[in-house]
Amino acid sequence: MSSTPVAGTSRGDPRLSLAGRRRVRGVAGLVVGVGGFLLVWTLLSELIFGEFTLPPPLEIGQLMWEIVRSGEFIHHFVPTILRLAYGFGLALLIGFPVGYLMGTSRWWRAFFHDMVMVAGSIPGITYAVLALVLFGISILGPVLSVGLISMPYVAINVAEGLDSVDRRLVQMSDAYGRRRPTIVRNVLIPSVAPFAFAGVRLSFALAWKVEQLTEVFGSSSGVGFQIRHEFEDFSIPGMLAWVLLFIVFMILLERFVLAKLERFLFRWRLEDRP
Amino acid sequence: MSSTTTTARRTGTGRLARYFRSDVGARVTSYVFLLVVWQLAALYEERFPPPADALGFLWIEVSGGSHGGVVRGEFLEHFAATLPRFALGVAISMVLGVLSGVLIGGSKIAEALLKDTLLMLVALPAIIWAFLTQMWLGLGDDAVVITTFLSAFPFVAVNVVQGIQAVPRDLRRMSGAFHVSGYRRLRHMLLPAVTGYLFAGFRFAVIIGWNAVLLGEWFSSSEGVGWRSRYWYDANRYKGFVAWVILFVGFIVLLDRLVLVRLQRRAFRWRDAQLGETERQIEEIDVGATVS
Repeated sequence: MSSTPVAGTSRGDPRLSLAGRRRVRGVAGLVVGVGGFLLVWTLLSELIFGEFTLPPPLEIGQLMWEIVRSGEFIHHFVPTILRLAYGFGLALLIGFPVGYLMGTSRWWRAFFHDMVMVAGSIPGITYAVLALVLFGISILGPVLSVGLISMPYVAINVAEGLDSVDRRLVQMSDAYGRRRPTIVRNVLIPSVAPFAFAGVRLSFALAWKVEQLTEVFGSSSGVGFQIRHEFEDFSIPGMLAWVLLFIVFMILLERFVLAKLERFLFRWRLEDRP
Repeated sequence: MSSTTTTARRTGTGRLARYFRSDVGARVTSYVFLLVVWQLAALYEERFPPPADALGFLWIEVSGGSHGGVVRGEFLEHFAATLPRFALGVAISMVLGVLSGVLIGGSKIAEALLKDTLLMLVALPAIIWAFLTQMWLGLGDDAVVITTFLSAFPFVAVNVVQGIQAVPRDLRRMSGAFHVSGYRRLRHMLLPAVTGYLFAGFRFAVIIGWNAVLLGEWFSSSEGVGWRSRYWYDANRYKGFVAWVILFVGFIVLLDRLVLVRLQRRAFRWRDAQLGETERQIEEIDVGATVS
């Protein structure tokens, strides 16, 4: 036991290098993967399809750079992201009470069951065109679509989160004469918030696709609007440049911002996270 | 609570109240609630048709009656045009999805090379394919079928990859150490693990493919469910559009709830036996969200 520190370092070292090696391998895989993908794309474009049908990645890369440099990117990105954020806010606002009702009452669970279960399988075009009919060209369409798409995920997660609330904490608050609103604010909401957020994250991929479609159909700004604009100009490179920029941005947002936020919200339950 | 139940048993209105309090009663109430919301939405925006108008239009469309003038209801024609495209697109996406999923799940090199491409394809919205195929191929069946399969196949592939990687490594090593034959490995190790994921992939392919086929038809066809919806939309007859929304949403919801969810639940029995109801629901609404 006296040699603990030495044993510790000698045991620690290979593990560290193993993690390091794994990370190097991950990055190498990414580089090789993306490089191979771009190479195959270039070859297909040069040899088989032709530059008009499938523009080479270099051309699209230049266009993407141009879009970012000219400030157009920010100009159309900010509204799209804001609508997404409002939509998620709406989903949380409605999903919380709905999830609470579903988690605490059998009747309300049955009441919301069908709505919650079908929302995800409804084709996106339904949301897009109905929003256009109801609201015209307006911010309400994309926001409501995102809200409706991700509300069920939030609600179901909140309902599940309620099961995880520490009963003893609630009983104790009761015993010390805390009133219901106080318990809800100080015990229930903090316990359930991370679950609600996990619902948002689950619905993220689906929600932004539907939002884009809504923008394609009825919007005067945003990435979806820009995609439609390029389509009407018959510009394949322009369309691909916009959608690829958006996808890259969304994947980064999902991986880094949302994943970190979720870990932050769940930090008090570290034992659940591997 | 007990006193209300006793009175409920005694009187006729009590029976109604009991029905209202049951699960079925709750679901019926939710449908009534939705109808009321719809009616209110129609009051708010006069372009948006109230339920009665849309359902009346739906009936004419389905029964083949006249919309006034020479335009007649054409329900069967358009479903007959769409379903083969849809089936073909989903079938191609299953074949290609399984092939590429097995390739990526089975080989480290293929995984390093193709996994990021696959994730990018998963992230591409169907509308991009609808636009691209229209520009590449013009109007017609090809554009619609290709939109359908390009939108759906990445989801099948991702699910097959997950299925293959879900086979416990110990099991794989052990069957290697004990020289288990290839057939038995396939039958008892690989297939049971992959089947559930394959069904889940199939379900996603159907749901995502249905959205894609409608979009494809909206932009590059002159018949079919998506086209007919657009036809009424372009003609400013929104009750026609809403009638078709009921038809195509009804189609996919019934297909999903009555067939696909049951298949998926059956195929995942071995895995989800101990899941609670909520966890199972999360699995089931999780259309296309599992990935990323």
